[in-house]
Amino acid sequence: MAQYKTSHTFYSAWNYEKEIEDLNAQSEQGWQLVKGGCFFSRFEKNPNVRYCYQMDFGRIENMGRYIEMFREQGWEYINSTFNGWHYFRKPYDETLPESAYEIFTDRESLQEMRERWARIAFGITVALGLFAILSLIRLILRPHLPALVQTLTLATECGLVFFGSSTMRNPDVSHNRKGDSHVLGACLAVILIGAIAGIALTELRPYFHTMQSWSDSDLSTSAAPKDWLPFQVRYPDNYFLDLKIEAQEPLTFEILDKDNHVAYTITDKDFTGEDIRLRLPSGGYRLHLSDYGAGPVKIEVTLN
Amino acid sequence: MKKAEPLSESYYYILLCLAKGKNHGYGIMQMTETLSKGEVTIGSGTMYGATGNMMKKGWIQEILSDEPGVERKRLYQLTDAGREALEVETKRLKRMIANAEEVYHGTV
Repeated sequence: MAQYKTSHTFYSAWNYEKEIEDLNAQSEQGWQLVKGGCFFSRFEKNPNVRYCYQMDFGRIENMGRYIEMFREQGWEYINSTFNGWHYFRKPYDETLPESAYEIFTDRESLQEMRERWARIAFGITVALGLFAILSLIRLILRPHLPALVQTLTLATECGLVFFGSSTMRNPDVSHNRKGDSHVLGACLAVILIGAIAGIALTELRPYFHTMQSWSDSDLSTSAAPKDWLPFQVRYPDNYFLDLKIEAQEPLTFEILDKDNHVAYTITDKDFTGEDIRLRLPSGGYRLHLSDYGAGPVKIEVTLN
Repeated sequence: MKKAEPLSESYYYILLCLAKGKNHGYGIMQMTETLSKGEVTIGSGTMYGATGNMMKKGWIQEILSDEPGVERKRLYQLTDAGREALEVETKRLKRMIANAEEVYHGTV
């Protein structure tokens, strides 16, 4: 029975040569690639053959012509990834010259392949850069933790893709730089943690929209202060309040914490406020209404 | 007239290998190695890119073989524009070699 294994080694595109080296080494140990991928590759155990591998990148206009051109020179097409990498293999024969295992035999065509990737990466860099700038503007207008995390994550992504794009374009400049893999690892960790933290911080925020109205009789039968909608703040941050009060006579609207400390207060009979910034420590809070007079009261609250 | 861009070695040999008639990719590769005594090789990736680009420029075209046994195999042949590009480049290279001879042998 055939024996398989799956490898999860991640290679950045600008280190694709390292991936080829590793595929060749795997083949020597009897593990033959059956499906190459960005995040996982599949190998089949077969110690009786040894292959040399090559990778190409780009959108192929004519797959039939492409595969034929490789087959003519002894290359077996393995598969393509969703993002445009193509894997080929050729049985290893030590009597053949090294050039028999190259698919790009001049500088120009190798550089064209690298450019194809670098151009796409540069496009993504620009898009990520724009998103990062928009995120930064949002952060300045509404400073809060999820926006900060998102801005930093986008800036890191933008920087990493730009680094990849320029490394792919000028491999000679950055080829001998040591510690690349550490930088890559650190960036990927920041991006992963940033993405998760961004979602978690957003999910943990209290988010509600409530509309309450009391008729004249509601208010006169029970003159006691009205409490409603208790909520939890799970981490200290800036939170944003939209508030609309419509009443016949002035009343006091407050946000109180567990110890009845006032986090926010306003006394008015006709008020509309948007994006009121509240700096709230973590803990339990509730909405509170007092000092109201006669007449119907309508209050609309959104907290985010 | 716009000055023609110098051709890369691979482009030049591909055009040259088609000058005397149509050929398939592998034939072009073998002929190139023979002509250059193994100094120039054209790998599959280079060949695919070069032939694709030259088809776009209209220098070569693809036809399907009708020979028995290898039907539907892709063959390439020069167009008039391709022949012209090859001639222009050959002239340029000859001029450069002639200039080099002049300099080395002291006629300048």
